[in-house]
Amino acid sequence: MLNVSGINAFYGKIQVLKNVGLHVEEGSIVTILGANGAGKTTTMKTISGLLKPKEGKIEFLGEDVTGLRPDQLLRKGIALVPEGRQILAGMTVMENLEMGAYHRKDKEIEKDLEMVLARFPILKEREKQLGGTLSGGQQQMLAIARAIMSKPKLLLLDEPSMGLAPLVVADIFNIIKEIRETGTTVLLVEQNARQALKISDFGYVLETGKIVAEGSAADLLTDSRIKEAYLGVKS
Amino acid sequence: MLAELINPYYLQVGSFMLINIILGISMYITLSTGQLSLANAGFMGIGAYTSALLTIHFSLPIPVGVVIGAIFAGLLGIVVGLPTLRLKGVFLAIVTLGFGEVIRVIFVNWESLTKGSVGLSGIPHMGRELLKTVKELGFEPKMLGLQNNQFIFMAIFLILLVIVIFVIWFFKRQNDSRIGRAFSAIKLDEQAAESMGINITYYKVLAFAQGALLSGFAGALFAHMLGYISPADFAYHKAIDILIFAVLGGSEVIWGPAFGAFFLTLLPEVLRFISEYRYMIYGVIIVVMMVVRPQGLIDLNVVKWIKRKTTRRGLKNGTGN
Repeated sequence: MLNVSGINAFYGKIQVLKNVGLHVEEGSIVTILGANGAGKTTTMKTISGLLKPKEGKIEFLGEDVTGLRPDQLLRKGIALVPEGRQILAGMTVMENLEMGAYHRKDKEIEKDLEMVLARFPILKEREKQLGGTLSGGQQQMLAIARAIMSKPKLLLLDEPSMGLAPLVVADIFNIIKEIRETGTTVLLVEQNARQALKISDFGYVLETGKIVAEGSAADLLTDSRIKEAYLGVKS
Repeated sequence: MLAELINPYYLQVGSFMLINIILGISMYITLSTGQLSLANAGFMGIGAYTSALLTIHFSLPIPVGVVIGAIFAGLLGIVVGLPTLRLKGVFLAIVTLGFGEVIRVIFVNWESLTKGSVGLSGIPHMGRELLKTVKELGFEPKMLGLQNNQFIFMAIFLILLVIVIFVIWFFKRQNDSRIGRAFSAIKLDEQAAESMGINITYYKVLAFAQGALLSGFAGALFAHMLGYISPADFAYHKAIDILIFAVLGGSEVIWGPAFGAFFLTLLPEVLRFISEYRYMIYGVIIVVMMVVRPQGLIDLNVVKWIKRKTTRRGLKNGTGN
């Protein structure tokens, strides 16, 4: 579904991504693991069009989408839930959700809105509340729900568990699993390696801008190097 | 009796107020995407000079001149907007302030066209032209019991009033539309808006150009209301005037800058003695407002409160009758 190859990306003169390549199969959950500063968020920004790579190619559904703007990519079906949530604090929960469907003109928006609210009961309860007054976990749910409102084929989630309480993190991972079950492919960036790999099919490990390991999630969970570096287990 | 009530002086103050309201709204539109532009005085000058020169040299009708002046200012807004809108906050403010000064300096130095700092006089006057036209049609102000100059000032005031009502209506509608949603999403969080699939460059340039167009429009009306313009009318001070409308009134809702323009045009007229200290008072207003009420006097809550009050009163009256 998504094929990224040979990406070199820069912030000014500093090279952040070095020949990054990855592949996401339709209907799967793929996780990118890595420490702070490894280039995880940059990878997400590049795929969603927020950052233009200097070199490399991004293919989505067999089509070359390298260098397209975020709004064009969203229309093609790639939605990003950015790091740190970035909901619109001054708009109500409902307005936030409606903004998610901003580019859509079809008649199913209402129906999808109901479906999303049914899946996130807490958001229905707080429909009229301002986004900024929600708790961190609720804001993350709102950010994900908003992205779903754009009806994406591929959902990019940038550290959805960041700064959340363990119980809420478990909730979020359950939601991600559910999203995949409805047919949306998920590309996930996480520091919470164990939980992310548990729900994933495939994983990549990013270190200082390079992919250093890849494999099925089950393999990565038992790989001794990964265990030591990311799962906190001495082998 | 009607004739005694129609005082040219009050009408003139009222007309300035209405032009300032348009300028305040032009500030509000660019601010509604979170961009602080101080170029509006410059765009106002562009609109004023364009329309004035066209009507003087090519004897175009005033409405045509005004429309061309506004459109030209809007187009220039796109040209200036595209490269500068990557700048944020104070940097954009500085660049746009510089742009305004450049415009003023061009007006001063391009003497063959603009007559330099002496200014342009003999610009066709909205009210007098209208009087001429209606007289040709066989109408005399005396038929309404008015003197000629009363008719002129009242005509200007009423024309501007209709324009202002239309402008407020238009931009309130826009604010409730897809465009308005995109503007406020960009204002709240540019990155989030972008990741939601909003083409932020397009909407930011649109807001900037709309602000420029509206400033140019106000400038052109100003030129044909006074019949005389000079570069000093569109200098740095004017840019600050317009900024203060939004700072005092607020820029969350369209009524904010409109109220700011209304109040700050009225104040020096009512309190004659303070008009000399105007800019000192403006300085104090900026400081106090930023500390005490950075969102301005009229924000969303005030609008909601007024709505509640008026509907409740309406209900009371309803049962009383």
